Amino acid sequence: MNNLKILAVDDDPSTLSLLEKKLKKEGYEIETAGNGADAVRLISKYRFDVVLTDLMMPGGPDGIAVLEAAKERHGNTEVILITGYASVDNAVEAMKKGASDYLQKPINLEELFLRLEKICNLKTLVRDASDLREAMDVTEATASETIQELEIQVAMLQEKLQRIREVILK
Amino acid sequence: MTEISPEELNTVSKYIHEITGIRLDQSKTYLIETRLESLLEEYDCVSYDELQYKARADLTKSLQRKIINRITTNETLFFRDAGPFELLQHKIVPDLIDLRTVNSSGLFSVPIRIWSAACSTGQEIYSIAVVLKELLPDIEGYNIRLLGTDISDEAIAKASYGKYNKFEIERGLSRYRLNKYFTPHGDMWKIKDEIRAMVSFKKFNLMHPLMGLGKFDIVFCRNVAIYFGLEDRKKLFDKIAKVLEPDGYLIIGSTESLTGVHPGFEPKRHLRSIFYQLKRPIHEQSQDPGR
Repeated sequence: MNNLKILAVDDDPSTLSLLEKKLKKEGYEIETAGNGADAVRLISKYRFDVVLTDLMMPGGPDGIAVLEAAKERHGNTEVILITGYASVDNAVEAMKKGASDYLQKPINLEELFLRLEKICNLKTLVRDASDLREAMDVTEATASETIQELEIQVAMLQEKLQRIREVILK
Repeated sequence: MTEISPEELNTVSKYIHEITGIRLDQSKTYLIETRLESLLEEYDCVSYDELQYKARADLTKSLQRKIINRITTNETLFFRDAGPFELLQHKIVPDLIDLRTVNSSGLFSVPIRIWSAACSTGQEIYSIAVVLKELLPDIEGYNIRLLGTDISDEAIAKASYGKYNKFEIERGLSRYRLNKYFTPHGDMWKIKDEIRAMVSFKKFNLMHPLMGLGKFDIVFCRNVAIYFGLEDRKKLFDKIAKVLEPDGYLIIGSTESLTGVHPGFEPKRHLRSIFYQLKRPIHEQSQDPGR
């Protein structure tokens, strides 16, 4: 189930159109931005599950700025960085800032799909866990009302019983 | 996955009970398998029975520690179930302060000693610290002692460090409290020093005698006894009764009950929550016209 909403950001038009075509074919919902400024604008407008961004973009916001904008807008957005061979160190730095992964150019599409699948699975798990917690909370709240009511009733009955006992013993 | 045989389940659950008090029956087979399986490989064991045997033979207790860390459930949240914290804020702490202020000579600061008896990774006792901080503007004027204990050293280490991921802080904590009492560290959030400094942590097994912990005005023992058998529950609340001040308060989990477990505590209701206090001896009760 590829229901992720993805934003792809790259200043190279051919890479961007390739990504758009391939990801669409895989069933993902995709938006594109040809520079950092457009990306930041889209991020502020929509909520994306994944932002896939080039790290180095000349002029205007670079990949790190896009990452920061995405994380600030919605902490649960996963960011994958695309880096040239020379900028792996920067990518590692970016991961410390909350990027979930990075891919080296030229992009291996199979690898990209695998990463996206992983993110998809993770999001499903997180949603399942939060559904379970919700169900647990509701059950717990209902049960606790009944139990606490009974607890008080029992205590009152016990006290009455104790008084009756005292009267009889006298 | 290495499956656990019925005979093994007996020896292994007996061992787990000995070291933790946790009672595991047949329905919990999966729990042992999923949580301990990786230890089989790590310790080169062909069966759970062998693992249990190795753990008993290990004088350094390092394997025992690992088993405890894995078998204990650390489900906890900041402000898990709002009831107890509202109770603390609106009823227990104000009542306690009133009572202690009246009885004190004014020479010493009023003590407020609270114990979170199975604090897991610290969320409950930190939530308590936040409530006190918000409730008492003159907090320095009180002698506050907050203690969190847990059987798992991993849980205690994490509690002590006070750093949580987004899933751990996401629920229960309001934005306001998150920003006020935590500082962001990358993807994580760390409790601020002012709250951290109010709390101390200690590794402690509730099956052991409660020596050296001191006395408490309030004890939180929520969702711990549920893992114990009836006999161990009785013993636990007996021990708690002994470390609690005669006018102290006990708070248990919202779905727990002390009926048939401990006759010494009586439940009291405040709004929608219940807390427990020690029953006074009969002769004291009959002299009190208010009852």
